[in-house]
Amino acid sequence: MSAPSRYATRTAPRRARRALALGPGLAVLCAVLAVVAFLSVTQGSRSIGLSDVLRALGSLDNDGSITSTVTLELRVPRTLLGILVGAALGVAGAILQGVTRNPLADAGIMGINSGAAAFVVFAITVLGVRGVGVYVWFAFIGAAGALVLVYAIASLGREGATPVKLALAGAAVTAGLASVTTGIVMTNVDALNELRFWQVGSLAGRYAPILVGVAPFLLVALAVSMFFGRALNGLALGEDVARGLGQHVTRTRAAAFAVVAVLAGAATAACGPIVFVGLVVPHLARFICGPDYRWILPYSMLLAPIVLLLADVVGRVVAAPDELQVGVVLGVVGAPAFVAIVRYARLSEV
Amino acid sequence: MRAWRTVVAVAALSAVLAGCGDDSSGGGDSAAAAPAGPWSFTDGSGQVVKADKTPTRIIAHAGEAAALMSFGIKPVGIFADESVKTDPNLKNLDLTGIEILGEEWGKIDVEKAAALRPDLIVGDWWPAEKAHSGMEEGVDEKSKKLAELAPVVGVSQGKSIVALADGYEDLAASLGAKVDSPEIAANKKRFEDSVAAFKQAVAGKADLTVAAMSPADDKVYVANPEYAPELLDLQSWGLKVINPASPDPGFPYWENLSWENADKYQPDLILWDGRSFTATANAEWGKKQPTWFKIKAAKAGAVVAWPAFWLHTYGDFATELDKLTEAVKAADPNVGA
Repeated sequence: MSAPSRYATRTAPRRARRALALGPGLAVLCAVLAVVAFLSVTQGSRSIGLSDVLRALGSLDNDGSITSTVTLELRVPRTLLGILVGAALGVAGAILQGVTRNPLADAGIMGINSGAAAFVVFAITVLGVRGVGVYVWFAFIGAAGALVLVYAIASLGREGATPVKLALAGAAVTAGLASVTTGIVMTNVDALNELRFWQVGSLAGRYAPILVGVAPFLLVALAVSMFFGRALNGLALGEDVARGLGQHVTRTRAAAFAVVAVLAGAATAACGPIVFVGLVVPHLARFICGPDYRWILPYSMLLAPIVLLLADVVGRVVAAPDELQVGVVLGVVGAPAFVAIVRYARLSEV
Repeated sequence: MRAWRTVVAVAALSAVLAGCGDDSSGGGDSAAAAPAGPWSFTDGSGQVVKADKTPTRIIAHAGEAAALMSFGIKPVGIFADESVKTDPNLKNLDLTGIEILGEEWGKIDVEKAAALRPDLIVGDWWPAEKAHSGMEEGVDEKSKKLAELAPVVGVSQGKSIVALADGYEDLAASLGAKVDSPEIAANKKRFEDSVAAFKQAVAGKADLTVAAMSPADDKVYVANPEYAPELLDLQSWGLKVINPASPDPGFPYWENLSWENADKYQPDLILWDGRSFTATANAEWGKKQPTWFKIKAAKAGAVVAWPAFWLHTYGDFATELDKLTEAVKAADPNVGA
């Protein structure tokens, strides 16, 4: 009797301490996100006085001035979109890494973005579809299809879907879909114009209508995703252990992939393929929280929009009066981070 | 992104030769009797390109092909930056018997091109990029192999569209075309009349300023006359075309303005990229982008399709210039004030 209780007394305070620190940590991240959002509304490629921004925000009514128009019609929707898309990409990356036990999984590497893009192009050219409200459905289908395909290919063979096989299958599917997309676009100038959206992820030029188009999907999927923590913790121990713990592994995976398809599909529909956020942020979250997905998920949800908005603000400020797309800024930061993860991450720990 | 910017400016060189088919068909089929050679031509890059005999099997980029065809030289292959059905360069031109090697910027079917056994490739020389049309940075690496099939020559997209037209006349002459036919002379005369009319219209609007612009989904592009021969011509004829303050260092054909800065310049008249201009484009952009109508000229509807296409013949340029002359006459020089 004494041994188990001693075990309990040794571990319980540690757990409690971590939870104690992580809870307020979320509040701190919320505050940081608020600050970054404020930066995103006040800073941009046009220099606008703080008082003008505050006046516009205070009245919430566009008085027709350029400062008011830029603040309310460009920056506010852009910031909200950045928060939503960032959260979606961060959470999608965390879930993917958990469910595949692959530290290199993200929506870009797993073929999801290219699947979404390919289907959007298909919708534009073959079905004559216009407008993000409709794209979003095709982005979902494409994202889900690519994900299923990648997983199916990686599952072939004896060991099943190992991290390396998933990464390879993802690369193969991405390449295949990219050539399909190129093939379609080559024959259609309209599609080429629309595809420019997809080439590099960007928050620019897509404002209120896009926000309205994707927000419902993202909000619901984000809420649902927060319940995946326990299941992902189980999967992280390996399929057999998870089964032993009474989890229905296949059902968990299917549900998780469905959520990821919605998150990544809607984010891609809105902003084009933005990579690296979904890859790097979950690692950052894991570094802070340890291996518990019940914390990794909310931390990823808050950290990712912070990273995305900061990158967007940097891209707007450094290049004024032009803008750098957020995808470019993230690529500059994300590529070294990716290399660092590949080289130093203890892959088995995910 | 870079690719897109490249497309914006470089697709432009493929030129809308709007409404000029009847002018550019002049010259007939007189080019067949090419002199035997040896042949040489000074390329836009300054290099002298030589051949043992005068080239007859020519592959040309769309606008350049149109220029050669206006002198009666029929290329064996054409590569365009968009579908040859919609490419305004090729409007009203008879393309039967000409192999189409590409219908998208940066993508040329080099295998098909090789099968044509070309002995000359013709594409404008772009001084800012130090490359010929079709071989610029950003195109498919595979299409660049076109340059290995035969010598590449082109006239420089330099300081004047007039020099460009002259240059292709020289090239055509070196290839054995008759360049002194009555039709060609008539087009030259028409061009001179158009320039005179344009100068007169501009002189009557001393305060009028214009900016050559191209709105796009993520930003607004303002053309830099320094690298746009036709805008330099317009400036030399008296039109006040705004020189953007900070062109993109890597791609100086344009200054890129984020939508937040769309109103940086306030011209009295917007010269709208002819490739994207439609009768309803101004109203559509006003609806789509909240800051487009912060440009007073856009709000006032003072927009005209800009012959943003690097025209290659006198006749084509005359036709476009006449339209611009009408717009200048109708413009209000106080809109942007």
